[in-house]
Amino acid sequence: MGSQLRLLALLILPFPVWAKIDFNRQIRPILSEHCFACHGLDEPQGGLRLDFAEFAYKGGKSGFPAVSPGSLEESEILHRVLSSDMDERMPPKGDLLSPRQIELLRQWISSGAEYAKHWAYVVPRRPALPRVKARNFAKTPVDHFILAKLEEKGWGPSEPAKKEKWIRRVSLGLIGLPPTLEELERFAKDDSPDAREKVVDYLLDSPRYGEHWARQWLDLARYADSNGFQADQLRDSWAFRDWVIDAMNADMPFDQFTIEQIAGDLLPDATVDQKIATGFHRTPTCNVEAGVHPEENRVNQVVDRVNATGTTWLGATLECAQCHSHKYDPFSQEEYFQMFAFFNNTPLEVENKSGKGVSFDFWGPKMELPQSPAETSKRHSLLAELKGEKEELANLQKEANRNYEEWTRQKLKATKGKKSEWRVLTPTKAVSDGGERLRIVRDGSLLAEGKSGDKSTYQIEVSVPAGTWKSFQMETMLHKSMKQNGPGRNTTNANPNFVLTEMIVKVEESSEALDFGRVIADFNQAGFLPGQLFDGKLDARNGWAIAPEFGKVHWVQAEFSEPLVLSEDSKLLIAMKHLYGGGRNVGRPRFSLSTDGVRKGEGENGRLHELLAKAKRNDKEERELRAFFDLENPKLLALQKKVADLEQSLKEVTPPTTLVMVEMDEKRETHVMARGNYLSPKQKVEADVPEALNDWKPEWSRNRLGLAKWLVDPENPLTARVIVNRWWGQFFGSGIVSTEEDFGSQSEPPTHPELLDWLAVEFMENGWSMKHVHKLIALSATYGQSSRVTTSMLERDADNRFFLRGPRFRMTAEMIRDNGLRIAGLLSGKMGGPPVYPPQPDGLWRQTGRNEPKYVAARTEDRFRRGIYVIWRRAAPYASFVNFDGPDRSACHPKRSRTNTPLQALTLLNDQAYVEMALGFAVSILEKTQGQSDRDRITHAVRRALSRDPSAREIEILTDLLNEQSERLKSDSSIARSLISQAPLIEVSAHLKSDEVGAWFFVANALLNLDETITKG
Amino acid sequence: MNPHPVDQYIRTLTRRQLFQRVGLGVGGFALANLLNDELSAAPKNQFAHFAPKAKNVIYFHLVGAPSHLDLFDYKPELQKRNGELCPKEMFEGKKLAFIRSRPTLLGTPEGSKYAFKKCGQSGIRISELLPNLQTVADDLCFIRTMHTEQFNHAPAQMFMQTGFERFGRPSLGAWTNYGLGSPNQDLPGFVVMVTGQYPGAGNSIFGSGFLPSVYQGIEFRGQGDPVLFLSNPKGVDAFARRKVISAVNQLNEMQLDGVGDPEIATRISQYEMAYRMQTSVPELKDISKESQATLDAYGAKAGGAGFANNCLLARRMVERGVRFVQLFDQGWDHHNAVFDGLPKKCREVDQPIAALIKDLKSRGLLDETLVVWSAEFGRTPMAQGTDGAGDKAKVGRDHHKEAFTVWMAGGGTKPGYVHGRTDDLGYGIADAPVHVHDFNATLLYLLGMDHERLTYRFQGRKFRLTDVHGHVVREVVS
Repeated sequence: MGSQLRLLALLILPFPVWAKIDFNRQIRPILSEHCFACHGLDEPQGGLRLDFAEFAYKGGKSGFPAVSPGSLEESEILHRVLSSDMDERMPPKGDLLSPRQIELLRQWISSGAEYAKHWAYVVPRRPALPRVKARNFAKTPVDHFILAKLEEKGWGPSEPAKKEKWIRRVSLGLIGLPPTLEELERFAKDDSPDAREKVVDYLLDSPRYGEHWARQWLDLARYADSNGFQADQLRDSWAFRDWVIDAMNADMPFDQFTIEQIAGDLLPDATVDQKIATGFHRTPTCNVEAGVHPEENRVNQVVDRVNATGTTWLGATLECAQCHSHKYDPFSQEEYFQMFAFFNNTPLEVENKSGKGVSFDFWGPKMELPQSPAETSKRHSLLAELKGEKEELANLQKEANRNYEEWTRQKLKATKGKKSEWRVLTPTKAVSDGGERLRIVRDGSLLAEGKSGDKSTYQIEVSVPAGTWKSFQMETMLHKSMKQNGPGRNTTNANPNFVLTEMIVKVEESSEALDFGRVIADFNQAGFLPGQLFDGKLDARNGWAIAPEFGKVHWVQAEFSEPLVLSEDSKLLIAMKHLYGGGRNVGRPRFSLSTDGVRKGEGENGRLHELLAKAKRNDKEERELRAFFDLENPKLLALQKKVADLEQSLKEVTPPTTLVMVEMDEKRETHVMARGNYLSPKQKVEADVPEALNDWKPEWSRNRLGLAKWLVDPENPLTARVIVNRWWGQFFGSGIVSTEEDFGSQSEPPTHPELLDWLAVEFMENGWSMKHVHKLIALSATYGQSSRVTTSMLERDADNRFFLRGPRFRMTAEMIRDNGLRIAGLLSGKMGGPPVYPPQPDGLWRQTGRNEPKYVAARTEDRFRRGIYVIWRRAAPYASFVNFDGPDRSACHPKRSRTNTPLQALTLLNDQAYVEMALGFAVSILEKTQGQSDRDRITHAVRRALSRDPSAREIEILTDLLNEQSERLKSDSSIARSLISQAPLIEVSAHLKSDEVGAWFFVANALLNLDETITKG
Repeated sequence: MNPHPVDQYIRTLTRRQLFQRVGLGVGGFALANLLNDELSAAPKNQFAHFAPKAKNVIYFHLVGAPSHLDLFDYKPELQKRNGELCPKEMFEGKKLAFIRSRPTLLGTPEGSKYAFKKCGQSGIRISELLPNLQTVADDLCFIRTMHTEQFNHAPAQMFMQTGFERFGRPSLGAWTNYGLGSPNQDLPGFVVMVTGQYPGAGNSIFGSGFLPSVYQGIEFRGQGDPVLFLSNPKGVDAFARRKVISAVNQLNEMQLDGVGDPEIATRISQYEMAYRMQTSVPELKDISKESQATLDAYGAKAGGAGFANNCLLARRMVERGVRFVQLFDQGWDHHNAVFDGLPKKCREVDQPIAALIKDLKSRGLLDETLVVWSAEFGRTPMAQGTDGAGDKAKVGRDHHKEAFTVWMAGGGTKPGYVHGRTDDLGYGIADAPVHVHDFNATLLYLLGMDHERLTYRFQGRKFRLTDVHGHVVREVVS
């Protein structure tokens, strides 16, 4: 279409000439979408900028004004967007402007081409409440804005949600948990006019409130319990997480909340809590892989701090300006590095411990958390004691050193060709609980006689001579009384196997089992490893067996974790647990000890000899040899043990630490970095804030503290808006500005700009109180509408941006888990402290790095604590959270996606954590409804899961499921037992039948999987 | 009976609106499932910019970075000057991860074990360390002039896979999954398999970054459930599971009738898909029905696990319409004893990879399947020679970002072709450099996508895999 024709087309578009053009709403989006990328702050093409009036009126290198107020003819921009000449046409690539957009430009230029500052950079002022026709709708001022917009469109709101729906929504919204049955009933009965306000106040006062709202903040703070990257070691920073929860529960004014997190350490006489708060910016990831450059790491961390500050408080994507000036928003590259300068005075955060090579560890300022005076004094006395013992140890070592050389010479001769020797231990007592008799034979073995017990445990006592013992051995001797001469007494078939599940060895007078390190055997049956003998696990199959190597003597040798030092002749108590069954018991065990460690072949003497014979030993080998030497010096060993014990006790009274920000005495110079690269410094800059935003006040110091005050200055146009908008998003599913993470010129304009400003001002003028704003929203009629969706609503406003109805959307990962635990009656209310480990599939933490921590699921109430406390390891976050859109927290995460996937179904159906919840729920249903009908029980269960009564049809569906499964479980009682066995911490009291628990498990499982259950609706 | 509210709603949407909503992950799957015939015939995505050369990708990332100089980039001059101090300009002012003093040059050993053989009709040289790969040389398309910007593993892995050296961006596989979707509704569109240690950058290198998390790589694990939470708990058999899902979905349907939220319809279809996955994934994983000849060709074992099995699984996934399969294999970081370690690693991967290429070819799948061999960077032509204790160790090679080799096969790439040339010592690029962004742009091109138009709007900006860079390397396209 030629430009003539298109111009003609414009003329016939119906567009009232008197319409006032709103630059921000109508013109800026066109320029931002089509022009700013090339004609903005960053290297403007043809020297032309269109982002400010003065540049646009002047024009670029061509000399023609791009925009000439009042003159369509002289405005180059119009010629260009209409041109059919490909060399002239603008934009050169991509879509042409639509006729409507061109007409808007014409209108705008005709009416004077006035520019306006982008709305988000203008300080919000409180607008008057709009007038509305429906007088009865509004409950809080919020509603006036919503209703006015609906009325403007000729629409109306939905009816109020039912009471039970409302309390569930408000409870989930404010504390992330559904109401209890008592809360539900109390509210149902309360007809007083302030019944709703009472509920909201009660929820705002609940400690659960901070636990819920901290989640969103910790996503922004990229809080995690590990470093990220290759090694991904754990770090202690949970005191910061607890600080956020406490601050929110205390309704700490948001300006203070900001200042303490950005610059708590710089406040005069900073308190411990204020320092903990600075953990906000000690969360960046840290790469400690070998060969990393520490300065690069540091620069990356500072970049992360600048960007996270921009996103969290300003809704600004400052990072675009790291490499070049921002293409859309008024942030230059120089200004980026001025912000950078505020954060540039912190020390390096990796450390090369050895001082050589290229290995690094995570480092950086830590602070000890406060402890009680008693703990402090105990710690001091332990430190003093440790100092004394260490001195003595040093003296002893010095003394011993004199004999070292001579010892190595002597030993070299003595160890040549010598093998380990085992000293057989004479039994003094032996009994079995399986009925067999254990007879002491002259060679020191015990021969089992009589019928082999099904699952026997032998209790044996042997005498041990004084000495320093390093290893323990059991031999399984042969005897003609056994099939093929043994060595086992299996009674179920022809083979003479044994399966020994566990061995527990104790010194007579002590009650703790001795700990073993390396364990080897001459042979083991596949899967029945000798190491399983000493692992504390009493699963029947988790033991040592020897099929098919029958008719041979076998042995297992185990090295004590610490040498067993016996100053006088003593006794050892040995328990041998055979839990496999079928009489698979060892037929003739014999025990012995050695002063050597275990080593296949020639024993540890071989190793000693090898070390001694070396012409040159490296550090590691020298240490190994010294350990052999020390073994012969009981006094030294005893002292070493004492020092080790003291160090352990000290560890127990050493307070945990948390990561904090610390300002270096000497400031670093900050330079603009060309293309964001720290190796290409350009001009020097000083700490400052972007010019487009509020002014810097002279009374502020040019450091993080000043920056924090600037962020929460009432003249800052962004902070309050960004924060209230994000909360709105949590309540309603989407912010008033739907791009919650970006308020720049590319952002989506607010659907209710006056409401956003009103809330921002209300927030600031009420002492920056989060709870005040939350109360206004929670009590609003808008929030309390029915969430029923009609086709007409979907046609008019599918995303519910104008609130034709109440919110309805899926809960977050943490909420889904917390909600399930609360429904099941399992949720623990314990707050704070180190992160917790609920069950997750085995192997997820495998091989994520060196110094690998282990994931051991908690077996205390920690298993059932709220999601906010769950360990967050960046390389492997908690698996079910990942499936429900939990981020890895490696970077500031302003908004989670809300997906709907089959993996989520599999998680809720099969994850052990949810299986436990369903079992716990089943048990709890049966306990709480004893003697009631199935129908009443189902009603009870549905009320707990959904906060409402079930319909007749719903009862029918669940009853069918219950009956079917009940039938199935009755047919085979082992099914229910194996189901229940998966939840080790769920107690099933004796009066409950496992079939019944099993059948109700299916009802509970189904209820926990409903869309309604995981939805705040 | 009145039409269902969701059906009514769908009719009110235009095709474009519908796919926008699918793109946002809102009610997407269910809507797609509930579409009438006319709508399901619509293009599956908005990013199919041109006719694709490749439909699927099997991408090998050799984690740690193999020594391309001893496998693919033959340097006789380097062999000749082995042991000489390297030229100053190769060391001074350069960022190297481990080498801290001016190193010597390190040529490939002269022995026949390490010789480079001219292979096939193309005469491309491949080391004797990869005898099986030599037999498919005429199917391979090499780029010898890859270069990157990062020289530590984790940032370089992220740079290679997400086009950005720090956390937070979507991976190539996630972009592909987002851009093209997956033709198979019973399996994830982007599957990842890992052998050995995890890559240093962790899950982020197959993550979805700021894209909705439906697009992230789903790991198929060698042990336990192949997909997390796939198996029913003890005491729940397939029949009981079906009953629970039926009850859940009946109740969800009642809720849908009452509340009308299309999201509930999606939930219903996801429960059905979860149930199907419980069958389709074990079926996929079960290679016992493959012929013995096939198993032997790969060196795979029914009921086993490991790299060879993963290669065979990759073919089975591609057959079933999984869009993007990525295999990470750890253990190529040969700072020490490269001439011991490299042959060992080669023995692990050579046979299965070559078998995969032949297998795809014989089944007519190679034309539409793009196979990629890549790593986060290459290795230095200089020796890294001392260990921490100061002993002279067996020499290895350090990280090298200036030049390295990758190759592709099938999927519309030029077979038996070599692109670009490094200098005589294998340090820098003599001709036709290919940056990581160029490579990724090329891969997207082969999949029918324009890297400049495959965008996602986040934080006010349209993001791309290639940032503001990247040129398609036309020469490697057949």
